[in-house]
Amino acid sequence: MASMMSNAADIEVTGLRKLFRQTVTGDAVVAIDRLDFRIRSGDMVAIVGQTGCGKSTFLNLLIGLDRPSEGRITIAGRTPYDDFDHFRGMLATVFQQDRLLPWRSALDNVRLPLELLGRERREQTERATAWLERLGLKGFEGAYPHELSGGMRQRVALARAFVIEPALLLADEAFGHLDEVTSAALRKSFVDLARTGGNTAVVVTHQLEEAIELGGRILVFGKPGHILADINLATYPTNMVARLRTDIQHMLQTNARISEIIHLTAKERQ
Amino acid sequence: MSDKIVMSEAVEALEARKPLRFPREMLIVLVLLAVLWEIVSWLVPPFVVPGWGRILSSLAELRLDFVLITLARVAAALFISFALGLALAVAMYLWTAVENYLKPAVRLLMAVPVVCWILFSVLWFKWVEFRIAFVLIVVCAPVFLVDLLDGMKGVSRDLRDMLRSFRPSRTHFFTKLVLPATVPTILTSWKINLSLAIRVVTIAELVGAVSGIGYGLVIAQELFSVADVFAWTLILVIVLFLAEAVLTLIEERMLRWRA
Repeated sequence: MASMMSNAADIEVTGLRKLFRQTVTGDAVVAIDRLDFRIRSGDMVAIVGQTGCGKSTFLNLLIGLDRPSEGRITIAGRTPYDDFDHFRGMLATVFQQDRLLPWRSALDNVRLPLELLGRERREQTERATAWLERLGLKGFEGAYPHELSGGMRQRVALARAFVIEPALLLADEAFGHLDEVTSAALRKSFVDLARTGGNTAVVVTHQLEEAIELGGRILVFGKPGHILADINLATYPTNMVARLRTDIQHMLQTNARISEIIHLTAKERQ
Repeated sequence: MSDKIVMSEAVEALEARKPLRFPREMLIVLVLLAVLWEIVSWLVPPFVVPGWGRILSSLAELRLDFVLITLARVAAALFISFALGLALAVAMYLWTAVENYLKPAVRLLMAVPVVCWILFSVLWFKWVEFRIAFVLIVVCAPVFLVDLLDGMKGVSRDLRDMLRSFRPSRTHFFTKLVLPATVPTILTSWKINLSLAIRVVTIAELVGAVSGIGYGLVIAQELFSVADVFAWTLILVIVLFLAEAVLTLIEERMLRWRA
């Protein structure tokens, strides 16, 4: 199935900064220091980094749930926060927790985005049923989320994201909390479906294996939110891919030490 | 392999949907209380605690159309209160300014004792039905409002962000997420208000009404008929239990998605 908006999901990130204010002290906390990069339509990009490096914050900015403090983030030339409604039907996210609506059956959960797009009921049911079947959930259309296992719920969440055939697919630590077998199966489904659909995919993860397995481009985020490395696996020397995991790990450890030293020095100055 | 295991777990979960359960324990307690009551009635004079024989003969003679009148008053007032509470809760949820201005007013309304509202209604309004409706609505609507607003605000941020990521219209945001998520709160609020309304309507009917259970109680008191008072009380309790049972049935049907 062709994407509804294929070749329309070029992402441009320019001088992006995001600061949060602490509720108690009122101090500003830098979540994203500075990000500049471009993702071309149809690319599959994994963003890796340690906890607190601004990966999920970046994803929220990309979804348009939050506004950048400085800089710009655009998808096909438009900003997801300011042109919020423009992206209806173009963008879908798979979150860490399945975030299914507990009062809706599996089928009704998958139908939800199509309802929001005002599609006819018959089309909603046909497409949702087809996607559930594609993800191995035939026979569970009427099951409520609490009647499904964690892996099955996440499959429903995947079906819900794919059902609108979005130009841009986002995943926020979507498979990391599941057992290894289920996680690997879901990752494979995600990659296969995204490739077949020609979707642009941005996958946020803290698992390096997952990022490497996706086989596209890896953006390594340092703390606070900046790019440590931009690795394209397609052009990366084959003989070095085997030790990529170790190299990225060293990079992240060094970054963690440096940011700790900077933090301590700043504290001492105060 | 692991998928087969999770599938079988899910099948078990599907089969585990429970049918409605007979309230055995509740019936046992009620029968025990009735027996205890009868024993006490043998030990004290009948004008203090009348036996079941007297109470049942009183029941047979009571104006049972009064029950329907009281129920109609309660139902009408509760529906109006719910509609009012829901409309204001939605407005308060959507606009912070509305919430900031309405919150103190609602607190004030809720702080006024029911008896004061009854007296105000007698002083302000001539028409009896309006007086009763006024008291019920002014007491129940704020409870609905506070409960519904809490329910709406309690919708998890995760679910709100999930839905927002699909860019719903404001109407869809409400109809697809906020309202369905608030259904458990709505049902609980109905239960609370039902019990509250039945108690309040009885007191309101004591003042000025010429029909309804409250009026029946006034007559019983004027006739010094303790058996009649007990009979009316029994009817009130039965009505409340039945209404709660209906609400529980609705709740079980509407909330079968809960684990």
